Amino acid sequence: MTNSETYNYKVVRQFAIMTIVWGIVGMSVGVLIAAQLAWPVLNFDLPWLTFGRLRPLHTNAVIFAFGGCALFSCSYYVVQHTCHAKLAFPALAAFTFWGWQAVILLAAITLPLGITTSKEYAELEWPIDILITLVWVSYALVFFGTIIKRKIPHIYVANWFFGAFIITVAVLHLFNSAALPVSLFKSYSAYAGVQDAMVQWWYGHNAVGFFLTAGFLGIMYYFVPKQAGRPVYSYRLSVVHFWALVFTYIWAGPHHLHYTALPDWAQSLGMVMSLILLAPSWGGMINGIMTLSGAWHKLRTDPVLRLLIVSISFYGMSTFEGPMMSIKTVNALSHYTDWTIGHVHSGALGWVALVSMGAMYYLIPRLFGRELYSLKLVEVHFWTATIGIVLYIAAMWVAGIMQGLMWRAVNADGTLTYSFVESVQAMHPYYIVRTLGGAFFLLGAIVMAYNLWRTIADARPVEVEIPEPASAH
Amino acid sequence: MFIQHIIGLLTDPTSEWEKIREQQKSSDKKGVGFVFILAAIPAISGYIGTTQVGWRIGVGEPIRITGESAISIAIIYYLALVVGVFTIGWVIHLLGKAYEVVRPLPLCIALAAYTATPLFLIGIMEVYPVLWLNMLLGLPALAYTVYLLYSGLPIMMEIPAERGFLYSSAVLAVGLVSLVTLLGMTALLWGMGLQPVFTN
Repeated sequence: MTNSETYNYKVVRQFAIMTIVWGIVGMSVGVLIAAQLAWPVLNFDLPWLTFGRLRPLHTNAVIFAFGGCALFSCSYYVVQHTCHAKLAFPALAAFTFWGWQAVILLAAITLPLGITTSKEYAELEWPIDILITLVWVSYALVFFGTIIKRKIPHIYVANWFFGAFIITVAVLHLFNSAALPVSLFKSYSAYAGVQDAMVQWWYGHNAVGFFLTAGFLGIMYYFVPKQAGRPVYSYRLSVVHFWALVFTYIWAGPHHLHYTALPDWAQSLGMVMSLILLAPSWGGMINGIMTLSGAWHKLRTDPVLRLLIVSISFYGMSTFEGPMMSIKTVNALSHYTDWTIGHVHSGALGWVALVSMGAMYYLIPRLFGRELYSLKLVEVHFWTATIGIVLYIAAMWVAGIMQGLMWRAVNADGTLTYSFVESVQAMHPYYIVRTLGGAFFLLGAIVMAYNLWRTIADARPVEVEIPEPASAH
Repeated sequence: MFIQHIIGLLTDPTSEWEKIREQQKSSDKKGVGFVFILAAIPAISGYIGTTQVGWRIGVGEPIRITGESAISIAIIYYLALVVGVFTIGWVIHLLGKAYEVVRPLPLCIALAAYTATPLFLIGIMEVYPVLWLNMLLGLPALAYTVYLLYSGLPIMMEIPAERGFLYSSAVLAVGLVSLVTLLGMTALLWGMGLQPVFTN
């Protein structure tokens, strides 16, 4: 019996291409603002080029444009392939693509103009928030609609992670963005004072936990076994750490508000939950690493595997570092320093970006029916990216510890040993090294873009028939 | 003799790793006692640097810490380095199970110790504690350490290079986690009132 229906690859292709484009845009802005911190003259005295306006542009571009497109593209591909079903609601799927690009474009216009809610990672004003909600509800309909019409009885674990990510982000976005508009470009948060801060960091940390972790674990659970050519090391572990992860992450937000007006018990609760979080996080790391370890003989011919190994190693490292930094005594030193920035980037560059790039190396050639243009260039990408991350993190560790120690250094008579500006001055060399690290990482991304462009140049998009599931299971 | 091994690792690492392995497998002298000597280089240099030379941040007089406070920091530093090397050696031994090559513990400790030598040697620069200069010199030493790990592990463990790449990456991840733990411990101890005493 044949099945002439084909997968919907069009929307997957669109999102995959935009992943690469937004990745380069977002990382370029990152390198620019890193350079501005080292050489402030680079803001050219133009308000819309200042760090304060470009920084949210950088975070929105890399998290929601680059990361978001990677998630849309991979989840649409994975859900079709693991369900043996074409995407549900094709018109809505197309709307998620064009709607999401519109959100990104609006962000790129409003943020440099200084139109912002001032909520970190949720800076976009209320009209854009409504558009995001529409896109996200459509995304949920398409994703879960496809799950409902699946031909395979089992729901593969990657889809569990994608599903949790879609539902939780919807809830987070709705609650955190609740606001009272006063004009088209200005609104005030529905919450006041410390409640506002708590809602903001409940949102903020779960943007990390669900957008940047659960979603990308979904990517890992499909593309790592595929690239390695072997099954997941432990399926039981994947299910156990899924539930542990979603139940624990949601409580960790208060660790962003240590030693603030937030009640002490809430801070301690956030810290304890963050420490518990180490276990489910490492469950995922162990599963990924052990799945890859069985494929060691393929390493010689497949540099993409190396990229994935490094990405999972950085996931393990940063999910160890995170709980440690949430300990109140450690946080008293690390908070507000560049150590935090280093921690975020070991997760963002090391884990999120590398696993996405690994997935794109798998996905894009298949979407266009081509072989990857050059494995040598993947190797070049691997090394430039790894060196870039190491330079970045090393610089931020030293800078962060130094800031923390300088700020709290006290003379025998009780006066501060250093003025604040002395600590700023002391950061200069590390900011240069950080810029260099970021530039290396960007260079790697450009090499990847060239490689993928050569792969798909004058290729025709392919249509793949949906296989009929085996009758006996 | 460990000094010959160190020179060998700096000039011709591949053949030197083979010599170290053969020595570990044949002779009764599996000595890794040199770790106790090497770890003293950064500890003593750091003591001299922070008490005698001092460092400068921006303008003003160089900053020093009192000898009394520096000696306890130097001792903790020394212990952390020694414990760190032995712990990583032990973890290499344990990880062997996952990579199906269980080698004796002394060989694993020797691997950890010889891998770390560039970092111990560059520790001499702490005599002159200017952070950006230390970082500039330290990064190549760190890079060479990583190179020694990736090149040495497959030789010491006698496994194919590809499997060695995975094994080495796991060891590197453990190394990074230990480094982060060290950062956290520093912050904890400092927060609990064990911070250095400055001279002025």
